[in-house]
Amino acid sequence: MERIKHLVTDNPDLSFAILLAVGVFTFFAITEPLFFTHRTGFAIMERFAVLGLVGLALTLCIIAGEIDLSIGSNAALAAVITVRFTDDWGAINALLLALAISTTIGAIQGYFIAYLRIRAIVLTVGTLMLLRGVALFAAEEKTVMLTDFRIPDFITTKMLVYFSPASILVIAMFIVVGLFMTFTRYGREIYAIGGARKEALASGISLQRPMIIVFAISGFCAGLGGVIIGLRSGTAQALGLQYLLLAGTVAAFIGGVSILGGKGGVIGAAIGTLTVNFLNTGLVFNVTPAFMVQLYLGILLLVVIMFQTGSRVFDERQRRSQLLNDVDRRRSILAEKIAELRRPPG
Amino acid sequence: MTDATAVSGDGLNFVQRIRRDYSPLVIAMVGLFLFVFLAGAVLTDDFLTWFNVKTIIRDAALVGIMAIGLTFVTLSGNFFLLSMKEIAALSIICFATLMGAEWNQWGPAEGDPATLALMTTFLVAIAATLIIATVAGALQGALIGLGGNPIVVTLGAAGLFFGIGSWWSDNLVVSYRRPHGAEWLGTGSFVGDIPNITVAFIIIAVVAELTLRYTTFGRQVYLVGANRAAGRATGHENFGMAIKCCIIASLCAAFVAVAFSGQVSSAHVNYFSSEFGSSGDMTIMVIAIVMVGGNSIMGGYGSTLRTSLGAIFISSIDNMMVLNGFNSGARVLAVGLMIVFSIIVFALVRRGSRAVE
Repeated sequence: MERIKHLVTDNPDLSFAILLAVGVFTFFAITEPLFFTHRTGFAIMERFAVLGLVGLALTLCIIAGEIDLSIGSNAALAAVITVRFTDDWGAINALLLALAISTTIGAIQGYFIAYLRIRAIVLTVGTLMLLRGVALFAAEEKTVMLTDFRIPDFITTKMLVYFSPASILVIAMFIVVGLFMTFTRYGREIYAIGGARKEALASGISLQRPMIIVFAISGFCAGLGGVIIGLRSGTAQALGLQYLLLAGTVAAFIGGVSILGGKGGVIGAAIGTLTVNFLNTGLVFNVTPAFMVQLYLGILLLVVIMFQTGSRVFDERQRRSQLLNDVDRRRSILAEKIAELRRPPG
Repeated sequence: MTDATAVSGDGLNFVQRIRRDYSPLVIAMVGLFLFVFLAGAVLTDDFLTWFNVKTIIRDAALVGIMAIGLTFVTLSGNFFLLSMKEIAALSIICFATLMGAEWNQWGPAEGDPATLALMTTFLVAIAATLIIATVAGALQGALIGLGGNPIVVTLGAAGLFFGIGSWWSDNLVVSYRRPHGAEWLGTGSFVGDIPNITVAFIIIAVVAELTLRYTTFGRQVYLVGANRAAGRATGHENFGMAIKCCIIASLCAAFVAVAFSGQVSSAHVNYFSSEFGSSGDMTIMVIAIVMVGGNSIMGGYGSTLRTSLGAIFISSIDNMMVLNGFNSGARVLAVGLMIVFSIIVFALVRRGSRAVE
């Protein structure tokens, strides 16, 4: 019991995320009789395959103190490339090509962000448009389609009740990235440049390596997400997938990252994504139109941001007043001492 | 440097001053831009005609007005709003719903399109739209001013506004009958054959530029954007500034929505996502204009004049590519390349001149 208490107090954000996830799940499990079934579990895991990747990518970026806005365009580009070349070259080759391209794009972005010392949002809003242009180019402004539907069938095969090849791949990805972030030096560097960039740079961490790693992983995740969506549905559009950014950001913030960077982790990303998925799936049962889902996600993000900002402002105020109190106390002690010294001896 | 003339730059001609102030790389990049533009202008048939110039400026007007509003936010150091098109979508739904509302018809709609009855309908609708836009802007501005990250706040707000707009209109097209009181704004022209929306663009550009240059508010915007700590020390908190700037941006978006609705006599939440311009996304287009115009995205440096010129520049490149028969993919690619170029040029200039934060 004592240990659990410690776990909760040590990770307030994570406990809040778990609480929220369990709360949302319980709410829908009680109100919707079909929600707590194997089939819905499978559907949730299928959604998790894509959204989890985006949530993971954005979590890593925000841990590094940056945000990758081009994630939707990158995913769309990967989807278009995969779907377009699958018929000619086979799915594996097309998939590898798409992943290589999106990872390279991510790494180049990271390199430029570190080299130019600009904020990632500035560069990625540019690449958002650039990649959309490239995707339009690659798709020749059409919706590209598969002719052979054996691959979509394979990707959505049910395994072990809840999983499909896609979601197993994504879970493996989560585990690998989680181990990487916790146990390697490179992972800790990413936390360092996010939480305290000046101090990290002063202590000799190069900005370039962690930035390139973060954005390469982000590009890879976006690409993999795009590949899964493209192969699963058999179609891809150059202008699609823009909704991923909002859903991924909500997942990342529920998972406990802070916009200032250096906080959060892979487990948080997974739980945040699951929460968003529970909400999404539950709302679908209520026959909620897609735009209402967007509205709820927007409200959720605003509320989380409000809490974070509010607590930060509150902390700052408290720290400031504590500082002022400290100064006052020391001054009065000093004044007493001086008075003591000035007092004539005897 | 003891020589006073060397410091102030007197005694140097224009070329020498440019070579002193900017690195060769930057000069080469800007030169390349201009070269491509001029070569295209000369080589494209029908590009340099009065009719085409009018078309370019009219195309630039709607996105340009939005970009001018966004420039205030950018100059005040709050990056950009990712919710521009969603504010416009909410506004256009509000405007069209009120234009078609039963209670808002103040007389017979036949005859002269400029009757008092139609104007009253229009004024009620536009007033409500501007109020809603003000509220939307103030909400985002308050959250940003309290210290929320502008990108994340407006990303959430975008979902919220888009959702409200879709919910209000049931995701359907809201249309109203001609003649209506917004026709003069959308398609009419008072001054010769220049469309009114072009005139509005020019007026808004001039007013915004004068506000930024000659009023106290304008200087405060630059101060808060250039140096937030100095702004706070002199009593100009970002809280009020963010609210004001976001309201200005939202009002511009709402105005664009009203003008666009006046053109097509209808409204749908997706008008600004799919049917607008070459990119398919107005928000990014607007941000592109602000960046390509040469405003520092970190704030404190730039002007709305640059934004207006950026709008016209992008619009003319677009026009040139259309005249040469390029598809939308190539056009989006060109705009994307322009943004990335201008970001890189700006970053290189800043690396040389200002201390990195």
